[in-house]
Amino acid sequence: MFRDVTKVYSGRVTALDHVSFEIPRGATAALLGPNGAGKSTAIDTMLGLRKPTSGDVRVLGMTPAAAVAAGKIGGMVQTGGLPDGAKVSELIALFRQLYHGRRSQADLLRLAGLTDIADRRVEQLSGGQTQRVRFALALAGRPDLLFLDEPTAALDVEARRGFWQSVQTIADQGTTVLFATHYLDEADANASRIIVVSHGRIMADGTPSQIKAYTSVRTVRFSTPAPDTSALLRLPGVNDVVASGDAVTIRSGDADATLPALYALGRPVRGLEVGGGGLEEALIALTSDTSDGGTTAGAGQATAAANSSELTRVG
Amino acid sequence: MIAFLRFEIVRTLRNVRFLIMLIAFPVLLYLIYAKQHGTTQGLTVATLLLVSMAVYSGMGSAMFASGPQLARERHNGWMRQLRISPIGTPGWFAAKLVQSVLMIIPGLAVLVALALTYGHVHLAAGRLGALVVIIVLGAIPFCAAGLVIGLMFDSQTAQVAQMITLLVLAFLGGIFISWSSLPSGMQTVGKLLPSYHLAQLGWNAAAGRPLGMSHVAVLAAWTVGLGAIAAWRWRQESTAA
Repeated sequence: MFRDVTKVYSGRVTALDHVSFEIPRGATAALLGPNGAGKSTAIDTMLGLRKPTSGDVRVLGMTPAAAVAAGKIGGMVQTGGLPDGAKVSELIALFRQLYHGRRSQADLLRLAGLTDIADRRVEQLSGGQTQRVRFALALAGRPDLLFLDEPTAALDVEARRGFWQSVQTIADQGTTVLFATHYLDEADANASRIIVVSHGRIMADGTPSQIKAYTSVRTVRFSTPAPDTSALLRLPGVNDVVASGDAVTIRSGDADATLPALYALGRPVRGLEVGGGGLEEALIALTSDTSDGGTTAGAGQATAAANSSELTRVG
Repeated sequence: MIAFLRFEIVRTLRNVRFLIMLIAFPVLLYLIYAKQHGTTQGLTVATLLLVSMAVYSGMGSAMFASGPQLARERHNGWMRQLRISPIGTPGWFAAKLVQSVLMIIPGLAVLVALALTYGHVHLAAGRLGALVVIIVLGAIPFCAAGLVIGLMFDSQTAQVAQMITLLVLAFLGGIFISWSSLPSGMQTVGKLLPSYHLAQLGWNAAAGRPLGMSHVAVLAAWTVGLGAIAAWRWRQESTAA
C-alpha cells in the first residue's frame, strides 16, 4: 500500500506549506499547478532527493531512501540529465542491470519509443529524445510506483500521445503513477485523480470532473445602479457576488443560465464582460476565497462553504 | 557496481581526444628530456624521468577521471538520476575509485614502453614490477582528491581547480624540478604533499632501495582525509533541503 505524504517545508522559501495527501496503490494521479507551485519539490521529496524540513514522507510504506535502495520506485525528475559519451542502448542496459533485469531491453526501448535511436550517442539526442531516454530509465526497474515530473515538456504532439499510451500500459500492469503537469488537459486525460497545487498548498483534490467543474466557473462583470446582491445571489448558477459601488462581479458555475436570468431581473445592465474558466482562473478563484474576504460585500461568504463541499481542500 | 564500472569505462574510452591529451604531455616531456646524460640518486636521467612522468601521468589521469567529469554530471543532472537508482553511495564510490585507477594504465604503459626502448632503461623485472604497483595503487589518494574537487566546484571552475592542483603537486612535490632546489618554505610544503611521497616511493623502487613506510603512511593519511571530505560533501549534497 502506498501511503503518503505529510511534509512541511520551510527555510527562506516555503515550497510546500503543510501539505498532506495520500494516493492509493494502483491509481494514476496528477499534481497540477503553475510553475513554482511546489510540484517538483513534492516529487523530489518523495524520491528522497530532498529532505522535508518537517513532516513525514512515506512511499510504499517505507522511507524514500529505502524504496530507492530496494529499486521499488522509478522517477523522471525535471533536472535529470544523461552522461556524455554513452549510447542510448548502453544507458538502458546499465539501468536494467542496476535493477537486475526486471524488464527486457527490447521492452524498454519499445515503451519509450527509442528502438530506432538505440545506437545514438546521448549528446546527439534532441530534447524530446533525451526525455524519452529518461522515461526508459525510470521504467527499468518495473517500479511499483512511478514519479514523472513534467514528463512531456519537450515532446511534440505525436510523441506525447505515444508517451501517455506507454504510461497507460505501465499503469495497467499495476504501477502507481504520480505525474506533475501544468496542463489541465493532460491531467484530465491521463489521471483518475487531480491534486491542484499552488504556492506550496493543495488548493483542490478530486476527480477530473470535479476539478473541471471548478474551472468551468465564469466571471461575469457589469455595472448596474444600486445592485441588489441578495437578488443576484439567487440567480441560477451563481456562486459568489461582489459589489463595489455600481460595479458587480459574479462568479457563476453556469453562465449560460445566469445571463438570461440577469436580464430578466429587468434592471439596467451595462458593460457586460464574461471571463473564461481555465486552470489559472480556477486557481485565482480558489486563492481569492481565502484572501479576498475584506473587500467582499457580505454576500460572498456564503459561497466558500458551498465550494468546498465539492472539493477536499487542505491548507 | 561491476555494470556501472564497465559503463563508465566504455564511455570514457570513447573519448579519444581526452585520453590522448592525458597521455601526451608526460610523453612529450619524456621524449625531450630522457636523452640527457648523468645520474642522480643512483638513477640515470632516463630512469628518474620515467618515475617522474609516471607519477605525473598517474596523478593527472586519476584526478581527471573523477574531478571535472563529476562536477559536470552533478550539474547536468546525471548524478540525480543515479541517486534515484539503487546503485547506492558505497557502490558508486568504489566504481569511481576503480575507474580512476584503471584510467592511469594507458599512460603508464606508454611511458614504460618508451623508457625500455627510446630511453634504454634497464630495470630488473622485480624493480619495474614494484614501480608499476606503486604507481597504480598510488593513484588512489589522487582519485580521492579528484572527487573532492568534483564535489566542491561547479563544472566550469573544476577544470581550472584541477589544473592548478596538479601543477602545485607536480612542482612542489619535486616532480618537474628537483625538490632540493626549491626554496626552503616550498620544500616544507612540498614534503607534506602526496606527490612528493609517491615520487619518493617510485624512485626508491627503481633504485632498489627500501621503500620507506613513512611515505606509504602519508599517502594513506591523505586518502583517508580526502575520502572523508568527499563523503561529507556527498552526504551534505544528498540531504540538501
